[in-house]
This record gives sequence, structure tokens and C-alpha cells, in this order.
Amino acid sequence: MKTLKILLGLSIVLFVFTTCSDDDIDDEKPEIDLTISGAFPLNCDTLYFGETFTLKMLFTDNAELGSYNIDIHNNFNHHSHTTEITECTMDEAKEAVNAYVSIDDYDIPEGLDAYEVSEEITIPDSDSDGEFDEGDYHFFISLVDKEGWSVQKGLSIKILRR
Amino acid sequence: MRKLCGVFVALFILIAATNAQELYIFSGAVSDNDDNVLPGASVVLSTGNKGTVTDADGRFYFSNLEAGTYFINVSFVGYKTFRDTLKIRSNQNVDIKLQPSVMTLHEVVVEDNYAQKQKREDSRNIEVINDRFVKMNLSGSLMKSLERLPGVSTIDIGSGQSKPLIRGLGFNRIVVVENGIKHEGQQWGEDHGLEIDQYAVDRVEVVKGPASLMYGSDAIGGVIDIKQLGVPAENSYGGSVDLTGKNNNNLVGTSIDVFARKKAFYYTGRVTLLDFADYRVPTDSVDIYSYKAALYKNYLRNTAGNEQNFHFSFGAIGQRFTTRFYFSDLHSRNGFFANAHGLEPRNVDTALHDRSNRDIQYPYQEVNHLKITNQSEWHGNKLNVEMELGFQNNFRQEWSKYVSHGYMPANFPDTISFNPDLEREFDKDVYSGNLKVSFEPVENLSLTAGIINEFQNNNIGGRGFIIPAFTQFATGTFLYGKYYLSSNSILQAGLRFDYGTINTKAYSDWFTSPVATDDTTGSYLQRSPKIARSFNNISWSVGFNQNWEKVILKANIGRSFRIPIAKELAANGVNYHRFSYEVGDPDLSAEVSYQLDLGGEYNSGNFAIGISPFVNYFPNYIFLNPTSEHDRLYGNGNQVFYYTQSEVLRFGGEIHAHYRMFNPLTVGMIGEYVYSKQISGEKKGFTLPFSPPASLLFNAKYLKENLGWFRNPYFSIDYKLVGRQNRIVPPEENTAGYQLVNLSLGGDIRLRTQKISLAFQIQNLFNRKYFNHTSYYRLINVPEAGRNFVLNVNIPFNKN
Repeated sequence: MKTLKILLGLSIVLFVFTTCSDDDIDDEKPEIDLTISGAFPLNCDTLYFGETFTLKMLFTDNAELGSYNIDIHNNFNHHSHTTEITECTMDEAKEAVNAYVSIDDYDIPEGLDAYEVSEEITIPDSDSDGEFDEGDYHFFISLVDKEGWSVQKGLSIKILRR
Repeated sequence: MRKLCGVFVALFILIAATNAQELYIFSGAVSDNDDNVLPGASVVLSTGNKGTVTDADGRFYFSNLEAGTYFINVSFVGYKTFRDTLKIRSNQNVDIKLQPSVMTLHEVVVEDNYAQKQKREDSRNIEVINDRFVKMNLSGSLMKSLERLPGVSTIDIGSGQSKPLIRGLGFNRIVVVENGIKHEGQQWGEDHGLEIDQYAVDRVEVVKGPASLMYGSDAIGGVIDIKQLGVPAENSYGGSVDLTGKNNNNLVGTSIDVFARKKAFYYTGRVTLLDFADYRVPTDSVDIYSYKAALYKNYLRNTAGNEQNFHFSFGAIGQRFTTRFYFSDLHSRNGFFANAHGLEPRNVDTALHDRSNRDIQYPYQEVNHLKITNQSEWHGNKLNVEMELGFQNNFRQEWSKYVSHGYMPANFPDTISFNPDLEREFDKDVYSGNLKVSFEPVENLSLTAGIINEFQNNNIGGRGFIIPAFTQFATGTFLYGKYYLSSNSILQAGLRFDYGTINTKAYSDWFTSPVATDDTTGSYLQRSPKIARSFNNISWSVGFNQNWEKVILKANIGRSFRIPIAKELAANGVNYHRFSYEVGDPDLSAEVSYQLDLGGEYNSGNFAIGISPFVNYFPNYIFLNPTSEHDRLYGNGNQVFYYTQSEVLRFGGEIHAHYRMFNPLTVGMIGEYVYSKQISGEKKGFTLPFSPPASLLFNAKYLKENLGWFRNPYFSIDYKLVGRQNRIVPPEENTAGYQLVNLSLGGDIRLRTQKISLAFQIQNLFNRKYFNHTSYYRLINVPEAGRNFVLNVNIPFNKN
């Protein structure tokens, strides 16, 4: 019985020892807030070729924000899904002819723990191969804080021609 | 008395009052498992070539022996030949138990004694287990079955694949050795399992801590040394059939082995076939980057797999010369969880995927590992020579439906030579050659000198780029000495010099990217230039063992190293399993580690307790550092991760204890803890990736010799408490603690003369939903497998 007590004692010591946390490090992820008034685009929104829209959303972090990236690519084959709960109505799956692709990274001014994005983004109408395909696209936002914690948000949108 | 694994040797060392150049007596008795004496057994001491047969009482006697190392070989018709090495430096009396060869081939190992001897004679912290341990703890893969060992955990990929973590270090920081040859696959990959057939394992030694001295580069975190030792008795033949079933993933499996031996020549063969369905987790849906993916009837979609393994070995066993050839071909196909392959949660075709839970759709990986090795030993009077030669081919393909990411064309062009659905391909050839010589130049000192060589040629294919093609050469020379200060204290020291080169090939994309913002034609980006690096290193180790009757104390300090791998030097692409663009650094230095290991064990028979603390310092740990940047051109807009080097301090250890409350019932516990901290660099204050949480395992085991129809029945209950893990680095998630109960029971029964061994387990008895911090699927919130019933039946069919 004495040995059992020793075992129990040792295990308690080990557990207390291991559950203590010490370092003062940033271990929180940043957040993308699409609930602010005028946030755009939202899930199932439509953008238009040849037009400029204003990207509007709030980025926050407990310490300091880093940078963000916007990736727009086609979802003609419905290959992936939104991270939003609402389902959008999709067009028929189709083969891409000249799908629009845009990848751009943006800096966030240094030292901020909250940043309301207001970025004008133009979607061209065509490239050297001709007009871009209309249809279902993905609008993918990736936000990273200074320490490297990241958060992603994928939106299903349509890009059409007026 | 425990009668665990058949042959059981008790060495009673009688301390002689005399010393130095005296002549000694070596005597003993030979009996079987049931203590029946075996008259007429042949006993041969190979150094000095002395032989005798046991008398009517099973006793033998050698006199006029000089001090030294002897090779003993005991054989008797109907029993397995017993071989061991012993040191004679006093008069010795040895009791040898022979195991009947009607039992399975793989129970031949002198397990308990070997494990005990290793603990007493090696200053490193070592765990030794045998095939019976593997059967009793049979899990989805060898590493998963070994996870119960203190200090060992795994990184799991689904239900059939896992890779070792020793005290929190894994990937290329752990060396896996099979029959003396370093196992080389694509061990850097998180989703790459270990290509080892757990049915074909006789003995596994786990070295917890740096072991570059004996195993070279990469053995910086530890070694898993796997041995297939079983050699049939003279003039015998036979085999056994293993049947395995698991209910969680509906696994059906069999492993069949056969063996035969005339006099010196023997062969063994084994076929293992496994087929399993998608595994089930105790949840209806998983949360993948905030997207909720519904699961059909708790099945983790597309995690089915299968495995076909073939082994053949043959060789000759002589008095002085032994040679063994091993041939193995392991093939496996494993599905990846369909919703979570690639960058985004996938809207899978559920009609296709949920039609059958046994089929393997895209995405999946297919791996073939071919291995041909030879292990030869020559035992002379004063000199032993060992040689190992090996060839391996590791061929891995990862398949998934073509989806354009980043600047890849939306429709795959038909001008490209590879299949659009081939995501990655690795084809690696590895040639190994080792030579070791051991001798005793003076009394009480044994020396081992060796030279270890390896050449690798790695080719790549497929649409994704993560590592370049490369060639790698490594050679090392070592000298290791063991000096007996007295009969119970041993000093050991070693020195090693290594030289290695790595040459990577240049790689350019197969598709064009717009280099400038308004660039409409684009160009083929070079992802990785040609890199040629060479590295030198000196490793060393000094250790001390002090053994008393009930107490073992040991200490070891050493320096180990690791040559950076191709991925660390030359990666320049997106890791499609995470939102990461990984960038290598061609100027990385070889990683170095210093570690102090201590060990103490008290064993009074009924009560035993042991602790094995360690402190470890890396001046330049290679760490993949997540930054706050994104990259448009090379990284398809993903977060940039750079390979950097930082100082790392780690400490921790294991504790184990057991207490025999009354005869058949023993209670025990195993605890493990590792603390890691980066003490310089960008992530100063952070831990290392995949840090295992602290855990405590309580065990109660009922073990008897006979119980009704059962022989060697056992019943064991494990209660595992795992702490939470809040020490994480991006992109990890905090993981809550959990409690787990596993049951295992089994024993041998006899149907007329036929022995049948049964091993039954219930893993995760209460079907708890919990997350394993070191699981590959942790990041997408996939819980561990639910309740699982596992049954293994072993039927030997041996004849003499």
C-alpha cells in the first residue's frame, strides 16, 4: 500500500508539473470579421468583370497583424466548398475555357492590432486569350499575424458580366 | 515465476575471489520450459572450439577457460537452438531453458534476459520488446503498437500508418534500422508511414536519445532497431498462421510463415495480407477550417487501405560463420480522408465515396518498399566480424484528381508527360554497406570499430513540387569501447567521424506564372537551383553503468548530429496539406545535439521503479518558421514558412513502476513528459512542432501459468491519462487532455496437440471522442478512432 501511495504521489507531482504554463508568448490566432456594416464581399455575392469593387472587412489580433492575401479562382467543377455555413446556388459544373485567376498579397501597416480593410480591387474583363469565363468562383482570404498564426476564410461568389 | 517468452536464461554470476590470468570454470544445466532436464543436449563454446553434451542430469561443465567473450550454442532435437554471447571473467554457472520448436518460430528470443542485460550493460536508455508484446498490443501499424512504451509516441495518418516520435522528436531525427540496415523511405513527410510489417518483427530495441555514434546522421532523437532473429532448429520445418480481425475499420488480415532447416542451411518465408475499410470516429461531422463536413455513419470517408507484404530469408548457420539473406517487398495503398486533401475542405462526391467503405478512391497514396539485405558474422577466437549489405527501393505515389491551384492551368494540357492525377512521385534507391569488427585487446576491455556507408538516389515526379531530386552519400567511421572497471561497473566511450554530401537537382515548374503583375505570357519559374553541399562531423559519447543486485544506475552524455535533408535545403513550393509555402535554406549547417541521460532502477522482485530523465540542447535545431508574409508568385498566395535554425532546450523523462500485489496480479504505471523550448530565433519562447503532451498510464495485469484450459492466460487493463497540450507553434491548435481505457486478454489453448494462441483487445473501451495532438489529422479536427475490438489468433503447425 505504501508503494501505491508513492506511485500516486509521483503521478500527482508529474501532472502538476506538466500542466503549468509559463512563457509569455503570443498564441492566439487573428480574426477575420465579416459582420461589420458594409462588409464586402459576403458569401454568395456577385462581382463583375471589368469593374472595381471595394474589399471591406475587419481584421483583428491580440498582438499585431501581419499581412493578408486574396486568392480568386474558379470553382466550375465544384471542387471545394465555402467555409461559411450558408449554401449558395451553383451554376452547372463546367470545363474552364479561360478562367480568371488572381492572387495578391497585401501589407498591413505595422503595429496594428485592428485594421479595417478598404481596398479597391479591379477585375479585368479579359486577357490575351480573350474574355474570362463567367460563373462560380472562390474568393479566398488568408490573414496572418506577426507571429505567424493564420486564419483562412473561403467564400463562394459568382463573377459575371453586366 | 513469469514464463513470458519461452527460452529463459538466468545468469548467476559468482564473483571469483581470484583475478587476472586465472583459468575459469563454466558450468550449467539445460532444461525445458517445464523444468524437465535435457540429457544429451549439445553445448558448444565457439571461442576455443570446445564442445560437450549434457549428462543424465542435464548438466555440462567446461574447465580451464581463459577470461574473454565466448559464443555459446546449445541445441537439442525438438528444441530451438539457443545462441548467446557471454563474458567469462569468473567461474560461472548458467541455467539454460530451451524452448520446444513446436512453438512458433518467433518466440525464440531470449527476451526478458536480453532486455535486462541490455539495461545493465548499456548506458543509454533502451526499451526492448518482443513479438509477443506486438501481438498483445497489436494496432494499425508497428509504431502504433509500440506507443505503449514510455517515451514513444506516434504521428498517425489514418488507421494503418504511423511514424515514430521518441521523446517528441520524429521524422528525419529518428533512425529506423532493420536487420542492421538503416530503413530509408520518405520519412520527412507527415503523411508518410513507416514501411515495416509488424507481423515480421521478432525484437525491437528503442534507443531513447541521440545515438549518432552507432547509427550516424539522423539518429539525433533516437533509434528504432528492428530484428528478425528467428532461426529454425536443426532438421526442423514448420510455420504458423496468424489471423487478425478488427471491428472498427473491418480489418481482415492474415500472416503466414513457413520455415525449414536441415543442418546449417535454413530458409523462412512469410506472406502478410491486410485489407481494411474506412475507420470510424465517434462524431457525425468534422470541422475543417470552420467548414463542417458531415460523415456518413461515422466513417472517415476514404481512409480504407490494404497491404501485401512478402518476405523470404535464407542463410547458413555455422560454428564460426553465419550468413543470412533477407528479401522483402512491402506494398500498401492507403486512402486519404477525402474531405481534407489539398488546400480547402473538399466538396466530395458523397455518392461515390459513401457507396462502399472498402473501396479506395482519390486521394490515396501507394507505396512499394523493396529490400534486399545480407547480414554475415564471423566469430573467431579473439575477433568477431560483422558485415551488412543492403539495397532498398522506395517507390511512393500520391494520387488525387487534378485541380488547378495558383497559376496551374485550369485544364491540364495534354503536352505534359505525366498523368494529371499524379500529385507526387518519389523513387528512391538506397545502397548500404557496413562493416564492424569487435575484439578484446586487453583484459576487461572490448572494442568495436566500424565503417558505415550509404548512397541514396532520389527521383521525383508528378505535378506538385515539394522536394527536388537528389543524391546523397554518407560515410562514417567509429570506435567504441567498453571497459569493465569491476564486475558491476562499466565505462563506455566512443568516437565517430562522419562525412556526407548532398547534391540536389534544379527544378522548374511545368506551367507558367506571371512574373510581373501585367505579364501575360508568363515564364517557367525555377523553384530550386542545383545545390551541392558537404558536411563533416565528430560525434562522441561517454557513459557509465553501476549495477548492484537490486539497483541499476547509469549516465550517458554525448553529441549527435544530422545532415540537413533535401527538403530543408531546397524546398520551394506549396505544401498542399497546410496553407503553407515552404522555403528551404541552402546554407543550413548540420544540426547538432548534446544530451545528458540518466537512468536509475530499483527492482526488488515484487516492486520495481525506474526513472530516466534527460536534458538536451540543440545549438542549431532546424525549424520551419511560419512568418507573417504571403507570397504571390512562388507560394500561390500562401503564408511563407522559412527553414531557420534556432537554439533549443529540451528536458523530460519517463518513470515506470510496478508492484506485484499478490501472485498473479501486478499493478504498474508509466509516465512520460517532454518540455521543449526554442531559446533563440524568431520563435523564441515557443515549443517545437508535434510536442507530445504529458501522459500517465496505469495498468493492472493478471498473469498466470494455467487457468483451466488456458495456458499463459493474461488479462490486462490500461487506464491512460493524457494531459492537455497548450504549448504549440503555428499552425497547431491547443489539444485538450483525455482519458482512455484499453483492455487486453489472451492465452494459449490446446485442441488435442494443436496449440492456438489468442490475443484479444478492446481499444478505447468507452468509445471516447478525443484528439491526439500528434495526429496528422489533428489540424482538421478529426478525432481518434472509436471503440475497436481486435482479435489475433496464432496457429503454429510445426514438425521436426
